[in-house]
Amino acid sequence: MYWDKKIETLKPDELQALQLKRLKKTISQAKKVGFFNKRLSDAGITSSSIKTLDDIRKIPFTKKQDLRDGYPFGLFAVPLKDIVRIHTTSGTTGKPTVVGYTKKDLDVWADLIARNMTMIGVGKEDIFQNMVNYGMFTGGLGFHYGAEKIGMTVIPSATGNTKRQIEMIRDFGVTTIHCTPSYAMHLSEVAEEMGESLDSLKTGIFGAEPWSESVRHTLEKRLGVTAYDSYGLSELFGPGVAFECVERDGLHIWHDSYLVEIIDPNTGERVSDGERGELVVTPLVKEAMPLLRYRTGDVTMLMEDGCLCKRGQKIARITGRSDDMLVIRGINVFPSQIEHVLLKIPEVGNQFMVYIDRINHLDEMTVEVEINRDSFSGELADLAKIQKKVGKELRDSLELRTTVRLVEPGSLPRFEGKAKRVIDRREAI
Amino acid sequence: MVCWDPRIEAMPKEELKRMQYKLLKSLVYRLYSFSPFYHDRMKEQKVHPDDIRELADVHKLPFMFKRDLRDNYPDKIFTATQDELVRYHVSSGTTGKPTVVGYTQNDLHTWTTSLARGLTSVGLGRGDVIQVSYGYGLFTGGLGMHYGAERIGATVLPTSVGNTERQIELMQDLGATAIACTPSYLLHIGEVAAKMGVDIKKDTNLRTGILGAEPWTEGMRNRIQDWLGIRAYDIYGTSELSGPMFTECSEQKGFHIWSDIALVEIIDPKTGETLEPGEKGELTITILQKEALPMIRYRIGDITSMEEDTCSCGRTHPRIQRIQGRVDDMLIIRGINVFPSQIEFALMAIPEVGEHFQIVVERKGALDDMLVRVELNKESFSDKINDIMKVRQKVEHRLRNSLNVNVDVELVEPGSLPRFEGKSKKVIDKRAM
Repeated sequence: MYWDKKIETLKPDELQALQLKRLKKTISQAKKVGFFNKRLSDAGITSSSIKTLDDIRKIPFTKKQDLRDGYPFGLFAVPLKDIVRIHTTSGTTGKPTVVGYTKKDLDVWADLIARNMTMIGVGKEDIFQNMVNYGMFTGGLGFHYGAEKIGMTVIPSATGNTKRQIEMIRDFGVTTIHCTPSYAMHLSEVAEEMGESLDSLKTGIFGAEPWSESVRHTLEKRLGVTAYDSYGLSELFGPGVAFECVERDGLHIWHDSYLVEIIDPNTGERVSDGERGELVVTPLVKEAMPLLRYRTGDVTMLMEDGCLCKRGQKIARITGRSDDMLVIRGINVFPSQIEHVLLKIPEVGNQFMVYIDRINHLDEMTVEVEINRDSFSGELADLAKIQKKVGKELRDSLELRTTVRLVEPGSLPRFEGKAKRVIDRREAI
Repeated sequence: MVCWDPRIEAMPKEELKRMQYKLLKSLVYRLYSFSPFYHDRMKEQKVHPDDIRELADVHKLPFMFKRDLRDNYPDKIFTATQDELVRYHVSSGTTGKPTVVGYTQNDLHTWTTSLARGLTSVGLGRGDVIQVSYGYGLFTGGLGMHYGAERIGATVLPTSVGNTERQIELMQDLGATAIACTPSYLLHIGEVAAKMGVDIKKDTNLRTGILGAEPWTEGMRNRIQDWLGIRAYDIYGTSELSGPMFTECSEQKGFHIWSDIALVEIIDPKTGETLEPGEKGELTITILQKEALPMIRYRIGDITSMEEDTCSCGRTHPRIQRIQGRVDDMLIIRGINVFPSQIEFALMAIPEVGEHFQIVVERKGALDDMLVRVELNKESFSDKINDIMKVRQKVEHRLRNSLNVNVDVELVEPGSLPRFEGKSKKVIDKRAM
């Protein structure tokens, strides 16, 4: 099944012609942004510099930090009155990354999700429970709009209250779910405890964090679904960038909308097909916030073999990061962000450790903080206050839930060299 | 007057009524023919679609109640097929079973149009940045306002609820000109902003508030407007009607109920008789354009009155006044409907809990706060702090899950709560507006 058969199965030469046309348009759109205009002219790139798709290599990379530096509207290529949506993701130093959308961007985005959903055979007869955060997180509204576009019945259940999620699946005959793979594991266990077999489920769409084939097998067995991997990031609209087809052997990335390069993260040089490296994407259809050669930080490769479904070249499932970014319950966070938040709290000072574990398939973060003798009056209420404050600060700044443990002064490790205060103890899933 | 839909909004009253009659007539025929529920109801009432010969004949039709939705859980009253349905919203229920509302694509369109007219009538449009601080998800407030704001071409900031400090930062940094949330949440935002050293009046672009999902008063409006330097407008709706539906216009003289979308009556809740304009009674609504979950003479339970004269804004559609209270005992806590019977239902499923409890609702700062005092049963009463803490957490968790609202729980000794010989008074509502 195709949503847009012509575009999904374009022949390579037609595709490249379309990509080149759209790349040129994207560059002229990007020039409306002061940041890109300067970047391009500093690199000596004029409108005649880009004659072939390979010429894109002349253009400097764009990094997440460039987006942060442009806070709030520095990367917008259209006036604010043409922006109909803003999403934000949490930032390193308190200020978030802002992503804007025009009306057309929202249509294009929903259309990409519609392609993905149609590709795996779901449609207007299906009932879709969208178990990810709505609001500022792009996962919720992104899938919501796409599913609505293809006429599915959408249950915007968002996250939390697993028992109720299971009751809704049962009572409404839900056929399709979307959530993080770790939440799906948790859901399957709670369903088992409740004695619910969730027979109506057919399709599971899982994304926002990397997951393995063995998790796929477990989820398929426990939930009775066919499980599909979904990939995307807010800077490139959100979810919907790449998606598995029914073959479930790599993800189709929509080449008419995203120009893909895989690079060696250290040298910036391209690697060959079949070799792993960092995914670099130039979105070809973004209006409000064009990006040039955006470094996603995600590690994958372009796959050499074609696909039975006749769609374009696939990328392999994401296997990791080229930087130290962590994905905790589907939320992207750098250790430096966690440290920044904790260092701002006077009672915490320099003596803390952060551990990330996976307990019952869910990510749990624990912060250990040494009690500062000076700020501790001996009242138990003070301890509770510190615990609450640390939890609140992390939740407010990074949307992460934390268990805070207070420990004796001097009991946490001291570092002589570069401190490593954030320890990820999870096994790969 | 800037209108979203000038032809309809200023249509002469007689023409509006003719249109309503046509819509009502076809609705009644459609439901009599295709909805077993309405067919049976009309038969019971001994009314046939042919008996509807003029608009006033609407009073011949049977009433519909919230319990009808619950009794027909989840979708037995729906008149759309699965492939026509594009959305479910779900609100928490009295006895564990929630109320489910289904929508077709046209239903979403009607809902969004109603809001687009309302938002335009308070002067919002393209160029505005609207922060939607209602909860997104199963609650209709978030997605409803989101779609309405998007329709009028505003920039939508889908902040949802919570994380108040970040809401304030974004309001400032992204230049929000309007906010949609509950009045109590806006008060809370105001207080937190003050603590952060942000003066909403001076330090932000905020000039409009679309406030609803709980009753509030003129007194509160005046305070909010003076304090925050904005114009505050009331918005009305419930999930059964689709969600937030009708707003005040710039005149702030009651909600405009779009006649092509809804037919309102004010009735005496005891006798069911229709009351005159200006008389206070129970709001009863027939949604004239609804495909998935039609509503004929739905008794919402809210007390208000209706004005039929043309508004000074020029719109010809009738207005209802601010909601003055509830016919039944439903509590609205931070915009979430809570029935005391729901609390009882949740508590009674916990073995450690005794038979007696008390609900204390008060306004702490700007937010509604609900405390449930619960007697432990004799067997579970213990002086081990850990045991008590565990039970308390369990009760709080259960209540939060079934009510969708945070509840403080205080466990008390068996026998310590007041006993009643007649009717018990389990709810102490200390909120004073």
